[in-house]
Amino acid sequence: MIETCDLRRTFGGVTALDGVSLRVDAGERRAIIGPNGAGKTTLFNILTGELEPTSGAVLLGGDDVTRRPPYELARRGLARMYQRNELFETLSAEDNVLLALGAARGPYRPLGSPTAAERASAWEILESVGLGARESAPARSLSHGERRQLELALALAQRPRVLLLDEPTAGMSPGETARITELIAGLERSLTIVIVEHDMDVVFRLADRISVLHEGRVLAEGTPDAVRGDRVVNEVYLGKVVA
Amino acid sequence: MNRFALAALTVAAAAVLITFPLWSSGWESSRYATTILRDMLVLAILALSLDLLVGSAGLPSLGHAAFFGAGAYGAAIVAQRLGNDDLLLGLGAAVGASALLALVIGLFAVRAAGIFFLMLTLAFAQMVFAVAFQAVDLTGGSNGLAGVHRPQLLGLDFNGPDALFELVASLFVLVVLILWRVRSSTYGRALVGLRENERRMRALGYDTTRLKLSAFVVAGALAGIGGALSGWSLRFVSTNDVGIPRSIEAFVSVLIGGTGSLLGPAIGAVVVLYVERVLPSSIPFAETVLGLMFIVFVALARQGIVGLGRAAYRRVRA
Repeated sequence: MIETCDLRRTFGGVTALDGVSLRVDAGERRAIIGPNGAGKTTLFNILTGELEPTSGAVLLGGDDVTRRPPYELARRGLARMYQRNELFETLSAEDNVLLALGAARGPYRPLGSPTAAERASAWEILESVGLGARESAPARSLSHGERRQLELALALAQRPRVLLLDEPTAGMSPGETARITELIAGLERSLTIVIVEHDMDVVFRLADRISVLHEGRVLAEGTPDAVRGDRVVNEVYLGKVVA
Repeated sequence: MNRFALAALTVAAAAVLITFPLWSSGWESSRYATTILRDMLVLAILALSLDLLVGSAGLPSLGHAAFFGAGAYGAAIVAQRLGNDDLLLGLGAAVGASALLALVIGLFAVRAAGIFFLMLTLAFAQMVFAVAFQAVDLTGGSNGLAGVHRPQLLGLDFNGPDALFELVASLFVLVVLILWRVRSSTYGRALVGLRENERRMRALGYDTTRLKLSAFVVAGALAGIGGALSGWSLRFVSTNDVGIPRSIEAFVSVLIGGTGSLLGPAIGAVVVLYVERVLPSSIPFAETVLGLMFIVFVALARQGIVGLGRAAYRRVRA
């Protein structure tokens, strides 16, 4: 469903990605783990088109989409939950979601307003992430946990085929983490999910397969059990986090 | 307030405004007041069109007079050089010229953001100024185009001062209604999304460059209506209409009145023209008042007069 071939990206003299090849099948849930600076966010920025690779290719649904702009990738069914929330701060939670829902039909409707059906689905999406009671609250007035929920709601409102989640539980309380993990686990199985996450409980709960990124390379890849048992992975990453 | 009451109130307010020359005719200074109010409405159209960029989309243009001037020259050239005084043709030429110019300038300007967008719009407006100054055959150069014929439509002659005021006020109401609808529409909401978070808009699937360009063209076209009305009002179009002072007048109107509303830029335009045109006859150094007001609002009240009014209203209710 989404695939990279030998992706390289350098910033000045620093190599962030050093030949990353990944292949995530349709309906698969893939976790990408690795220490800070391993290149996870750079990889996401290239997958969404916000950053151009120095070399290499990105394939979405079999089509070469390397260097295509983010809006085109979004229209092809790619959605992203940002690590640092990217919300419409002064707008209500409902209006945030309505903008995401409206993207499919495009903005050029100077006489159109959000329909009753669009408002209904906006509320459904907010309800599904646990913000049903907060639809009229401006995004900036929401708590950190609620903002993460809204961030997820925006990505879901795009009705994506591929969902990229950049540390969905970052900064959340244990209760909020459990809640959002179950929410993601309960998403439709046909949805392809790529998730970057530091919380290994979340990773082992969600992932079908895990890729370990280290210094811009894929160090190991396999099922959660295989990765957990991998000696090299334990040395560079797991050993430091889960003793 | 329900929809019906709101519509009734709007119609009533529009009627009161448009008939100003009639019900003010008993005043000693009716003629003078009509002229000043007419010019305030023209500036208000320019400020309102600019606020679609500044307030809705978050694009601070400092060259908006270029489109006002394109409209003014467009209408005046139809009246003078072509000798045609049809209102629709004049307006069409004004809107067409300003929209086309906005499209050309916008293609370059919308790729920049923030201060760079501001400087680019300023630079392009100066280029338009230079062209207007030098294309003497078309624009009259530094002499401008004097004695611009006022238009007529279906036997309605807008030559007299009262009829002309009614035309200006009617088109002002039309522009307000257009912007009202646009701002509450899906399109207007997308522009606000652009202001709030362009990165997220792109990630959601919006072609933000095209969206910004469209806003630039719509705002330019509406500014062109103001320009045409200015040419007909003063019977004169010159490089003043495309210059930096006019751009700044509009920008100051938006900032003093308050961005992101329909009332703010209109109130701002009234205040700016009052300070520029009425105040100098009663106090010395009136010209400095505008500068002081600008500083005060930028430093202390970014939300403008409308924002201050809203805050006061909330305090009274609470």
